[in-house]
Amino acid sequence: MAATTSIETPQKILLTTSDNVELKVDRDVAERSILIKNLLEDLGGEGTEAIPIPNVNEAVMKKVLEWCEQHRKDAPATQDDDSDSRKKSTDIDEWDQKFMQVDQEMLFEIILAANYLDIKALLDVGCKTVANMIKGKSPDEIRKTFNIQNDFTPEEEDQIRRENEWAEDR
Amino acid sequence: MAASIPNSSAGPFSSSPYTPTFRAPSMINSSFKIDEGYSEETRSQTGSDTVMRTDSRLGEGLDQEAQYVLPDYILGMSEGERSEFCYAILRSLQTSSIAGLVERLNPLLHLDPVIYLPPEVTFQIFSYLDPETLLRASTLSRSWRSRTLDSPLWKLLFGLEGWTSNTQQVRKYEEAEKLRKAEMKERKTRARTAEDMDYEPQTHKKRIREKPLFGDGAATDGSIHNRLQPLTLDGSQEGTPAWGEQHGLVESDDTTTNGTDDKMQDVAFHDIPGGDQSTMSPQTSNSIASISPMALDPPVKPSLILSSPDAKINWQYLYKQKRRLEENWNSGRYSNFQLPHPNHQEEAHTECVYTIQYSGKYLVSGSRDKTIRIWNLDTQRLVQPPLVGHAASVLCLQFDERPEQDIVITGGSDCHVLLWRFSTGELIKKLEKAHSESVLNLRFDDTYLVTCSKDKTIKVWNRKELRPTDDAYPRTTTAGARFPSYIINLQQQVEGQTLRAKSLKPYSLIMTLEGHGAAVNAIQILDGRIVSASGDRSIKVWDVRNGSSIKTFTGHTKGIACVQYDGRRIVSGSSDETVRIFCSETGAEVACLQGHNNLVRTVQAQFSDLPGNEKELAAEAKAIDMQFLEAREKGLVPTEFTREQRRARNAGSRDPKDIFAFGAKLPPGGGSSRWARIVSGSYDETVIIWKRENDGRWAPSKTLLQHEAVRAAGGRPRRPVTHNHPPIPAVNAVNQNQPQAVPIQNGVANNSHLHQASLAHATAQSAAQAQLFQHAQALQAAAQAGQQAGHTTTVTVNVAATTTNLPHQPAAATTAATAQPAQPVQGPPQQNPNPAPHHHHHHHHPAPQPVGGQVNSRVFKLQFDARRIICCSQDPTIVGWDFANGDKDIIQASQFFGEAV
Repeated sequence: MAATTSIETPQKILLTTSDNVELKVDRDVAERSILIKNLLEDLGGEGTEAIPIPNVNEAVMKKVLEWCEQHRKDAPATQDDDSDSRKKSTDIDEWDQKFMQVDQEMLFEIILAANYLDIKALLDVGCKTVANMIKGKSPDEIRKTFNIQNDFTPEEEDQIRRENEWAEDR
Repeated sequence: MAASIPNSSAGPFSSSPYTPTFRAPSMINSSFKIDEGYSEETRSQTGSDTVMRTDSRLGEGLDQEAQYVLPDYILGMSEGERSEFCYAILRSLQTSSIAGLVERLNPLLHLDPVIYLPPEVTFQIFSYLDPETLLRASTLSRSWRSRTLDSPLWKLLFGLEGWTSNTQQVRKYEEAEKLRKAEMKERKTRARTAEDMDYEPQTHKKRIREKPLFGDGAATDGSIHNRLQPLTLDGSQEGTPAWGEQHGLVESDDTTTNGTDDKMQDVAFHDIPGGDQSTMSPQTSNSIASISPMALDPPVKPSLILSSPDAKINWQYLYKQKRRLEENWNSGRYSNFQLPHPNHQEEAHTECVYTIQYSGKYLVSGSRDKTIRIWNLDTQRLVQPPLVGHAASVLCLQFDERPEQDIVITGGSDCHVLLWRFSTGELIKKLEKAHSESVLNLRFDDTYLVTCSKDKTIKVWNRKELRPTDDAYPRTTTAGARFPSYIINLQQQVEGQTLRAKSLKPYSLIMTLEGHGAAVNAIQILDGRIVSASGDRSIKVWDVRNGSSIKTFTGHTKGIACVQYDGRRIVSGSSDETVRIFCSETGAEVACLQGHNNLVRTVQAQFSDLPGNEKELAAEAKAIDMQFLEAREKGLVPTEFTREQRRARNAGSRDPKDIFAFGAKLPPGGGSSRWARIVSGSYDETVIIWKRENDGRWAPSKTLLQHEAVRAAGGRPRRPVTHNHPPIPAVNAVNQNQPQAVPIQNGVANNSHLHQASLAHATAQSAAQAQLFQHAQALQAAAQAGQQAGHTTTVTVNVAATTTNLPHQPAAATTAATAQPAQPVQGPPQQNPNPAPHHHHHHHHPAPQPVGGQVNSRVFKLQFDARRIICCSQDPTIVGWDFANGDKDIIQASQFFGEAV
């Protein structure tokens, strides 16, 4: 992937991860992150100084950058789209699906990093992945999937089940 | 067991991903013992959690020291080496031991996102789930419950159903509630200064906790007593019943969630301290410490107002009540009411009611008795004495009660259009002889008033003073409309430099639209478009700015009585007994609803469009077209329709075999969410509620009868109830001097609990009964007049259509229909009853009725909103079906549901 044929050598920038590892990346790849993009713009100049990313460690950052690399040619995210009020599908394209086949900790860390770095499309994919892990499962299956501790008393569970009945008959 | 662990914050609730391995044993053991989950109330050390998280980020797997101190040489290995070493050890174990280890490692591999991820992220995750899944997820744990029942999330879901809400009312209510809460608090505090000492610190403490909870199952102190105190403090006010029941200050999490999520909806993600968990975790564990087994938060039953200080509406509650309300519609659970109130029959119209409109609390009706009445729907009483001014039947009206508008506009058989002040009932203006014949319908928006008439024209009037330079001033450059001489052509004036800035006084006639070949029965105005439906069987769309006719829709085989336009679809009801839906962009007929047995006089459709679904609908339409083409290519669909198919049209099915229209921007049926609903009223005396079947076809879901509604509402139906009494001989109806005792007897017999039958009303009823005859005659006359007006050529075609359209009709009725020439709809009667023989109805009523018997409650006009259908008919009593069905929660929530379009 690094062997992308480009006419000009893309500008490189440096990122310092939370575990103090310096990563060199193409500027346009890093700029999939609105946070980094804004930072670079604010800093101006050639961006020779390393940008500290204190909330993301090396392992996660590498994974995030892998995604950015893959999606470097995507249209930039529109900030003002009203997609929030639309019916949303949880379809994920194939590459992203594979990309998201990681352990849960990594998955959540990617989501957190995408949230922090403001990479909307990656955050979307991450959230969809988690949503798909919940869909179509019984409560017990979901509890198992996420190691959720049931802290309701049987009485409470019963009460809640009865309260939720309004949504059942359709 | 937990106590043996150095960091006492271990436990199910703080199963932080960053403290995994060393806690594994306790996790496993406690995870299946529910009680341990919240018995650990001693935890108060909060800082350590943060430290752990930070550490773990730097090198996971290094904190095993807590459990078992690894020798230095192992710690000195690289990750890869350690991994290999570990694998070697594992391989030396028995399978059962490995299985045990896998079990112990389980919490490391399966993490709870609600604990791991901040609320704005779980909000987004949950926004991909449907309500059923969310409710299922709410049963997983307290923290899941609190995040999945989050109000802004349900607000989103509410919108995604295609439901609309009355945002103004929501805001108003929230503000009032907030104020009330603040006032109550102040009063209480002042009154009980001594107790301030007890309450203040506690409240303060909760506030602090509120902020970072993010909905993590937040109750404060475990004891019920403590929970109740703030509730008394804040929740003792009367009024909104549901409020005090459930909520106290303790349910603090919603405040934060609200705030955060509201913010999230329009602000970029990096504005939120999302990825940084260290800011959250201390408080998270703090809240965990205080969970009480008795307190469910949010409470089991959602209530209207959240307990946060800013008194927000709980959208989960609204969503739930809306679903319950829809359930009532679907299963036909309603209560009936009527205007007038059964105890105040003297307030009733004295003759049939041609038109109604309601909005919020008020309903305005116009009758053949020449009056307009303004009713309070809450009390079912007149707000003021009847508005008298029309010289003949009131046929159409529209009102706007908002103070800045404060207007009722009415039109009638006297050809006048009258303007009234809504609040006082005072007549403020009279557009004398606005048309040369009956004013059949009128609509207004902020800028224009549009009227249509039996005289085949549509007229447009300005509502505010207009200068030629105003945007709303008519553009006379396009031919198509007739403009009064005082309308200037701005462009010519400017070019000729003769601009005389003569402005138009309000309610000047600004254009006359001609083009319909028969009476214009109904109009709509929306976004600069006028949609008109005529007895000439066509619907036309006009540009209100320049009067040009943009499009003509055909399809109905007889005159059209009513029309509704929502910007994308035109829905119309016709004398051909169908309701049709047209794609307004392409003119394609996307659905034809058959179920009435007589003229469809009134219709309203609610498609409950999903936000921003135009493109999806167009794509759907295209896909269905492709399927159809494919099927046709394969020879699966006949290229020619049979007569039956042509008649059957398509009620919305997507099956290629049923496809009728082609190339529309809307899929068959018109495209709609599953909550879509059409309600139509007919001269067959029924009101039909249409819903879409699973295959997309519109089908009658419920059929309502006006006279049954009157009876159920506690009034006296004028109609003889045939299953209780022997049918009244048909001759009664035709006889203008029919015995007055008949309706009274029936009324008393049917409503023995109603002893106060006022004589006045009885007289009114019988008078109305007599008028009916005239009315029927007038209708007939109108129909014939229409026929003479140039439709004789199509008569034979239509007769055929009529006979074959209704194969289930009894032979006698069919014959009657055949004998009857096609009748373009002409709207309500004129004042010149023609004593022509009355055999207008070839309808077939569900109730046993002698052929040729008097029709009693033809439906003239109906309107529905989220909760009610109200309709007026030949019966002077206006009736309503209230699908809240007396349910207090639904009634309370309904005020926030958007008005049907």
